[in-house]
Amino acid sequence: MFGLGLKKRNKTDLRDTPIPEGHHLLEVNDLKMYFHTQDGVVKAVNGVSYTLDRGETLGVVGESGSGKSVTSLTIMGLIDMPPGKVEGGDVLYRGKSLINMSEAELEGVRGNDIAMIFQDPMTSLNPVYTIGRQLSEGMRLHKGMSKKEAMDRSIELLRMVGIPNAEQRVKEYPHEFSGGMRQRVMIAMALACEPDILIADEPTTALDVTIQAQIIELMQELQHKNGNAIIMITHDLGVVADIADKIMVMYAGSPVEFGSALEIFYEPMHPYTWGLNRSIPKQVQDEKQPLTPIKGNPPSLVDLPDGCPFSPRCPYATDLCRTQKPPTHTTKTGHYSKCHYSNDEQFVRANAPKVERIKPGDIASERGVDA
Amino acid sequence: MADSNVLLRVEHLCKDFPVDKGFLAKHSKNARYVHAVNDVSFDIAAGETFGLVGESGCGKSTTGRCIMRLTEPTGGKVLFEGKNIAEMDKKALKSMRREMQFIFQDPYASLNPRMTIGEIISEPMVIHNTVPDKAERIDFVRELLDTVGLNPEHINRYPHEFSGGQRQRVGIARAFALRPKLIICDEPVSALDVSIQAQVLNLLTDLQKEFGTAYLFIAHDLSVVQHISDRVAVMYLGNMMEFSDWKTLYNEPCHPYTQSLLSAVPIPDPDIQGKRERIILRGDPPSPIDPPSGCPFHTRCPIAQAKCSQEKPELREVLPNHYCACHFAEPNPIKESSIEL
Repeated sequence: MFGLGLKKRNKTDLRDTPIPEGHHLLEVNDLKMYFHTQDGVVKAVNGVSYTLDRGETLGVVGESGSGKSVTSLTIMGLIDMPPGKVEGGDVLYRGKSLINMSEAELEGVRGNDIAMIFQDPMTSLNPVYTIGRQLSEGMRLHKGMSKKEAMDRSIELLRMVGIPNAEQRVKEYPHEFSGGMRQRVMIAMALACEPDILIADEPTTALDVTIQAQIIELMQELQHKNGNAIIMITHDLGVVADIADKIMVMYAGSPVEFGSALEIFYEPMHPYTWGLNRSIPKQVQDEKQPLTPIKGNPPSLVDLPDGCPFSPRCPYATDLCRTQKPPTHTTKTGHYSKCHYSNDEQFVRANAPKVERIKPGDIASERGVDA
Repeated sequence: MADSNVLLRVEHLCKDFPVDKGFLAKHSKNARYVHAVNDVSFDIAAGETFGLVGESGCGKSTTGRCIMRLTEPTGGKVLFEGKNIAEMDKKALKSMRREMQFIFQDPYASLNPRMTIGEIISEPMVIHNTVPDKAERIDFVRELLDTVGLNPEHINRYPHEFSGGQRQRVGIARAFALRPKLIICDEPVSALDVSIQAQVLNLLTDLQKEFGTAYLFIAHDLSVVQHISDRVAVMYLGNMMEFSDWKTLYNEPCHPYTQSLLSAVPIPDPDIQGKRERIILRGDPPSPIDPPSGCPFHTRCPIAQAKCSQEKPELREVLPNHYCACHFAEPNPIKESSIEL
């Protein structure tokens, strides 16, 4: 066929298979993705685990190089191998392993059951094809729609994401769209096949705050309507506070803390989470508080420190931290932290940032975490 | 503010960029211009931090560049210690630039990859011949490196050997090499991770305390600007919309644009986030080539009325030292929840 080289696929979608008992919509189990480079082995993702259910939003927070994007690219099967290699662990979507899936099978999942919004709306669209054609591509491939059907659906999608004059806009090229509009097109494209899981990799980082607010509102609205799960990758704690149910804090390729949004913000256990919290300027009423930065720089992923990866920058680090990998300390609600001292309640209480809540209450009962 | 204290005064600054290239296009009656900066006035006192916020394309960076004449302003005055920079000749400009330095946004592009950081930091001193003796200069650079938190032993290293945060420290050391009275910081922390961003913000605050330098701090991140600034101005489509001391601006914003901007900032606190009413603006900012008539914000404003599209509101003093360009701005702010969308 001309152009897209599409093979019509009329397979049943994986999303129609029920989730096997004892499984979640998405399970990531101790995933390890290493890159074999000339300089050595880059341990970009080093033991990431989490679960995700329908309608849930997971926020993944971390600095650049913490492995948050590579984790989701691995889930999507978008890492070039070599140099990348899955060194361990598994990703189960509805109980089926995505890691062992054949490329052909994976193609049926990617962009269909699991879709991704990329960070940079300026470079993620193809400049030589019209918006309509780029939107149609996925639907023709996955849903076997005709050109006409796909184009009609594209117009509908553009309307849904709030682009005025959609009939006209669908025929235009990416350069005719502003940054916020392009990001809307990216969202429309990701939602074209009504995915089960929407992965958003810093979807609002390149945008202004007023546009960011529009995009986040839109993603929440659509989630409410479609019941899909969202993985929101960001470095902005404000954005995750806005939309996440659960939060995973990543550092140097592995999660250091995981819990409900309320737990991460009001009862954080890991010194890195505390450090992040103290680093961001707060909106204050009267007196400004000085910032307490985390000293030093993140470690090289080629040469990770022995023991806890955060120990060189941690103000509380002891010899134990510098020599031994920290165990995972998990609470009743499933809130976990990888720190030698997280189980020492006194230590946590004495050093965690004091946050006064507007409505004090028992976090665990307020928003139950499935443990 | 007492006039004697004013270090920099900007009066009716304008900058238009021609859209069409070529002699004929430029001189035709229908020549089109991007009105990047439109009649902007403010002043900065010695030793204070003046924050300039706004969305991309609002003209905040162009304002900064016009002040240093990195871009030629098309109208208005820039008075530095009473002397008009906009009319200076090259020689006067050079000596003026000794007093005024720039910190750039991109720590990767603003350092010459072929120079060692020692050469980069000492270059302003060579150009302005402030420290003629080479050995003395090297000592001074080592001292500066120590001040900005870099290892003085790294004086002979090249920029690529440093991380983003460290490079920004090099840029800061270079700006401070001449002990200027004013530093224009154009998005100095927006390329950095939060933990590094806090380090650089603290460094800037400490250096200001030590040397009494004034900052013009340009950024799009409202929380960062609030943290560092004494006074804050909000720009939209090249126009100054509101300015005041930080406390008033953040707690009692008068202008509907400032209000919606503040309400759009996500606050890292789920309780507050779930509770507060947010004003979500519709659409994108209009094009600065063809700005709306009247108030530039009326196309997106939640409280716009007929008057707004006809008459451009002047910047007026709604409260002492609190200026706002809106026909309907009241000293008592419109409550977020009372705005119907």
